[in-house]
Amino acid sequence: MASSANSNPVPKLYKSVIEDVINEVRELFLDEGVDEQVLLELKTLWENKLLQSKAVEGFHTEEQAALQAAQQQQQQQQQQQQQQQQQQQQQQVQQLVQQVHQVQQVTQPAQVQQVILPPQQQQQQQQAPQQQVIVQDSKMLQHMSATGMSAAATAATLALPTGVTPYQQLITSQGQILQVVRAPNGAQYIIQPQQQIVLQQQMQPGSVQAPVIQQVCPVRQVLAPMQGGLSQQGVIIQPQQIVLAPGNKVQGNPQLMQAAALAQQPGQAATAQVQQVQQVQQVQGPAAPQVPAQAQQPPMILQADGAGDTSSEEDEDEEEEYDEDEEEEKDKDGGEDGQVEEEPLNSGDDVSDEEDQELFDTENVVVCQYDKIHRSKNKWKFHLKDGIMNLNGRDYVFSKAIGDAEW
Amino acid sequence: MKEASPLAHSVFEVILWLFILASVSIMAYQLYRNTTLGNSLQESLDELIQTQQITPQLALQVLLQFDKAINMALANRVRNRVNFRGSLNTYRFCDNVWTFVLNDVEFREVTDLVKVDKVKIVACDGKSESTQNKNDK
Repeated sequence: MASSANSNPVPKLYKSVIEDVINEVRELFLDEGVDEQVLLELKTLWENKLLQSKAVEGFHTEEQAALQAAQQQQQQQQQQQQQQQQQQQQQQVQQLVQQVHQVQQVTQPAQVQQVILPPQQQQQQQQAPQQQVIVQDSKMLQHMSATGMSAAATAATLALPTGVTPYQQLITSQGQILQVVRAPNGAQYIIQPQQQIVLQQQMQPGSVQAPVIQQVCPVRQVLAPMQGGLSQQGVIIQPQQIVLAPGNKVQGNPQLMQAAALAQQPGQAATAQVQQVQQVQQVQGPAAPQVPAQAQQPPMILQADGAGDTSSEEDEDEEEEYDEDEEEEKDKDGGEDGQVEEEPLNSGDDVSDEEDQELFDTENVVVCQYDKIHRSKNKWKFHLKDGIMNLNGRDYVFSKAIGDAEW
Repeated sequence: MKEASPLAHSVFEVILWLFILASVSIMAYQLYRNTTLGNSLQESLDELIQTQQITPQLALQVLLQFDKAINMALANRVRNRVNFRGSLNTYRFCDNVWTFVLNDVEFREVTDLVKVDKVKIVACDGKSESTQNKNDK
């Protein structure tokens, strides 16, 4: 049963139309003095375009099949390339993380993927290139690099709820130890709780041993997968405890204590103070505890946009105000291409038809004639005839069409 | 008046075109030019015009012939029926042309079912085929 051939009148119809037209205009061509060759060329062009449109089934069976096969292969190759690119990016991130581990002699669990954040504030040069690379990988990372959040702050905010014990080992990590997991989208962070987060900050590797601040910030909230960016609310997890267990190398630093004290305050107050601490840190140098400051920075880094992520010195209020906007924009950006730049403001409010998201990227059109259009209240009835339809990229024809719709 | 006024020129052209049109026995809707078949023909003609293998006037003649052929083919060679149902988003009736936009529509034929999120229907008056330009999208 060649059901498709029998039931699909479109190819035959189109062919007959082409033949009719060509035959009818042959005389016109001769009258104009145009060579027959041009007429054949017209026919060939016409048929080829029909084939390429893939709107007609079985137009020229063999040619179409070959063409479809070639196009499908191309599409598959493109998809594979995209997947490979994503995989490569992930691998690169992992490699970078491993390198960081090696360099930093991290004693943390191997699952931790360090996110080396703040470029400008940090003294740690090694982080910079890594950050850049990581940044390239995902949208979030781009934001992170832009915002310049410090790793320690991120780690602090991401402190794990499980087990709060001062971890006395010196972890010569350059920054925080976070666990950043990629969501399937490749642009999201899932920060999973770990038992401990030991934050260490060193001035510079191999140089002065900066005071090591071990902070364990148990955070009850587990950062949910970020879509398009961490909202500050999600990241500004209230660090309930910040235990400063200065290691052997810790130098007594009253300001550090202040930072720790500030960091102990829960919630947004901590973030504001973290910022202040950050400022203090900057004044004093790299030794300042950046953990509380960093606590704020991860969300800032992960922000898709917004003015609040570029500076850590802004007031707390401003950041609070940005939360909602950023969340909305992040959600929107997450769904879109995830550009670093701001999307048009309030573009989420636009009521636009999502034509681009259609699989075939075609507007479904029906061109026909109407016999009768009837309406009763909001119930419409359509009596149409002699129509050509293009639905989902395919062509259909009808001699009569009857439809119902409610307005 | 040595120079003919522009109006005269245009009148002459109008008369000329009317003469040409009169030579065409049936004027058919240009409605179907914006279909896969019609667009591919227009594109092919445009290519030939660009390579100067045909003149624009000839291309126009071809399109007019296409209008006739497709109208006749649809009226005579197609014998199938389609049903559809959806929700009406917008409707417009202007110059005796109905334009609808429907959402979440199901097109049912005996053989198969096609679902679309959005469809635009352009319908000319089926009762009288007059010399109208219905060349919308």
